[in-house]
Amino acid sequence: MSTFTTTAPSVPASRPTFASVAERELDAVHRYLLFLTGNRAIAEDLTGDTFEKAFRSWRRFDPRRGTARTWLCTIARSVALDHFRAEDRRRRREERFAQETRDVDESVWGDTLAAALDSLSPAEREVVALRVLLELDGPTTARVLGISRTACSTRLSRALKRLEERMGDGRD
Amino acid sequence: MAATETFDFERDYAELVRELRAVPAAAPERLRARVRDLGEPQTRRSLRLHWPRRSVLLLAPVCALSLVLAVAIVAGVVSSSRHSSPERAAVAPAHAQAATGGTSSANKPATLTPFAPSATPDRATPVPPPNANRLQNYQASLVLRVHGPDELGRRTASAMQIARSLGGYVASVDQTSSSGSPGRADLVLRVPVAEVQSALIRLSALGTVLDQHVSIRDLDALVSAQRRRILQLRVEIARITTALQQSMPIADRLRLEFQLDAARRDLRAATGANASTLRKAALSRIELTLTTQRAAVVTPTRGRVGRAVHGAIRFLAAAGAIALAALIVISPLLVLATIWVLGSRAWRRREERRLLAAS
Repeated sequence: MSTFTTTAPSVPASRPTFASVAERELDAVHRYLLFLTGNRAIAEDLTGDTFEKAFRSWRRFDPRRGTARTWLCTIARSVALDHFRAEDRRRRREERFAQETRDVDESVWGDTLAAALDSLSPAEREVVALRVLLELDGPTTARVLGISRTACSTRLSRALKRLEERMGDGRD
Repeated sequence: MAATETFDFERDYAELVRELRAVPAAAPERLRARVRDLGEPQTRRSLRLHWPRRSVLLLAPVCALSLVLAVAIVAGVVSSSRHSSPERAAVAPAHAQAATGGTSSANKPATLTPFAPSATPDRATPVPPPNANRLQNYQASLVLRVHGPDELGRRTASAMQIARSLGGYVASVDQTSSSGSPGRADLVLRVPVAEVQSALIRLSALGTVLDQHVSIRDLDALVSAQRRRILQLRVEIARITTALQQSMPIADRLRLEFQLDAARRDLRAATGANASTLRKAALSRIELTLTTQRAAVVTPTRGRVGRAVHGAIRFLAAAGAIALAALIVISPLLVLATIWVLGSRAWRRREERRLLAAS
């Protein structure tokens, strides 16, 4: 996904430096990819790839059209989807994908939270990451995900509900 | 919170949100170093203008239309200046010839059609007058439009009356009027040449002039030749007659008598031809056609601006036709391309959903 827009009216029009943006948004992008992939090593790789891609296409970043965080999340999502595709192809080829990589890195979160997050799909973890952790607003999240605002809200609601149920079960 | 969201997750799932946000997810130092090592991208100064895509989409058709309009205007102006000169050059000599009468050359017919190219043929223009000092064969044809069969009959009678009142006569009349088809009357009038101008003016007033043709043929040389021939024959006859009064062998007498008969026959023929030529010179022939049929629409003569506008419109019409033809040709490809784009987008979305649905 190479284009994005935002409706935020208070977007700063001045162009920051790439280094300052990278410094400021690195944790957010890493956190998003960590939630999306559920794997620390993969998230780290994809974060690095995301910033390299952003570095190459920095010229196209237009602060008037959206925040740097939104732009980076869009790139990160594209990078992650490429990764998923490649892994999917590899899994199909080798039929060993599930055993090798289908694991949420349990050391990242506590046991209860890890189990609860493991029950979510990447799409649900993704919307939780964007809305709850990165605190993007609904319309921006919907645009990054390429879905409608209603679908985004529904997905978030369902994910949080399931997460809470699983965590409640885990505590019991 | 977005307006579309029906719940406030910060409130409804406060504890869960707090727990999620408390998860340590800071980027490790080696990742930070990797990103830091990227540095700052080189800002390449490019001459390329970066327009927003939406603006380009809006501006491109407007620019294309403006360009086509500008080219059309230029084409119209160029074509108007190119067409104006030859038309004037072609019309000018005809009018000059009409003004001079064009009858001085010997037997060469001077054919004048002052009405044919006229943009408004409903008014008669002055016809060239006959030359009173020379013998001329003056012929004219006139086509007039009248309103309805009743008027056709009345105007036919008036035309006959005009011919007679000017000392001429009606050589022939052929009138046709049947329901469902335009009425028509064809008259051949013979009018003294001296009165032909007056006759044409009065006849023109009987209806709307659709066409007029005047032909003047000089007969002076012909009459002179005929007179010379008659004189020669008379001299010949006199010579033979004198010779016959003398005594001569019978064979010679017979030969001379044959010559005398032949010369008398030739004299009669020459005299008759001369009389006929003189009659032609005395009476003009006017072919008058009265019709109830409407005249074909005559395109009014345009000025330079009008021609330029007309040329521009023609250019635009041609450009539109070409664009339409191109659209017809490429429309199947456009449809296929659109289907391909939409299909690939749908497939990509489906693929994304599938990839992200795996838990």
